[in-house]
Amino acid sequence: MANNSLFLKSGFIKVPLQNGVGRFIGQLQRVTIKFCKSHGNSRGVREFIENDLVDFAKQNPGVVVYVKPRRHRGPSIVGEYLNGERNWKPAGNLSREEIFKWINLMTVQNGETEAFRYRKHIRTKMPSIQGVWTPFTHRNLPNNLITYPNEELGEVLHKEQTATERLLEIAMQQNLESDTSKEQQKD
Amino acid sequence: MVFTTFVNFIRSRGPDEFWRKRKIFKLAAHMYGRRRNCYSIAIRAVHKSLQHATLGRKFKKIHMRDLWTRRITAGAEQHGVSFIQFNEGLHKNKIQLNRKVLADLAVWEPATFESLARLGEELDNYGNIKE
Repeated sequence: MANNSLFLKSGFIKVPLQNGVGRFIGQLQRVTIKFCKSHGNSRGVREFIENDLVDFAKQNPGVVVYVKPRRHRGPSIVGEYLNGERNWKPAGNLSREEIFKWINLMTVQNGETEAFRYRKHIRTKMPSIQGVWTPFTHRNLPNNLITYPNEELGEVLHKEQTATERLLEIAMQQNLESDTSKEQQKD
Repeated sequence: MVFTTFVNFIRSRGPDEFWRKRKIFKLAAHMYGRRRNCYSIAIRAVHKSLQHATLGRKFKKIHMRDLWTRRITAGAEQHGVSFIQFNEGLHKNKIQLNRKVLADLAVWEPATFESLARLGEELDNYGNIKE
């Protein structure tokens, strides 16, 4: 399956750590409540609008609340956030208390809260303390500063005895032996 | 002449057909030719790709473990230690780090990894001390 055709999105851990360190700024920009004025599954939404909505709007002055009566369709709540993300929630057959809780939860959320697969279960700004491995980590660095031609490194490796040297060696030995034998003969 | 009977032969397959098929086309959007445009062909392609995804979950684990092993071997060989020697060195010293962590150390903490590799230097490939 190609990644773009999977329904379960994947990503790295989001860490909105700056918000709340100094001052907490609510990320919810606007809430849109769509409901039907007559259908049964909008009953909870209607009760919420009649009783709790104005208090909610007063308590959250930074949030704009839109109410959209739409006939013959199920109710929904959409929260739009400062980072542009949208959190759509179906509100069909929810009770007034449940809707109250969900809308108040949206005020402390950050954006889309759909489940998504973590590519890595860790997120750090400092993944390496000893220094990341490079191809030069375990290499002998002075080698990089050598100027060529270098006498030491230019020496021949594995100097084996050549055939000529071996023959000369044999000849020397034979001469020595013949010299000694001649001396013995003289004596 | 108005033929009113023929209208009755038109079969409505149901109002949901568009969305039922759209679910399949979404999963086949990256495919070639008729596999992404024609439903009867797309459905077969999508079923096969879902099968591959199911099987692939097992292979992902195998592939990741192989990758970690290769990385550990590469890191250890830099210090003149084979993977078997490295592993034996860890076992002798009762270090129970798994391959994932060892591979991470080889990449991010090369000094620590070197010290772990040195633990296996004196061992041969059978876990006995050399010489």
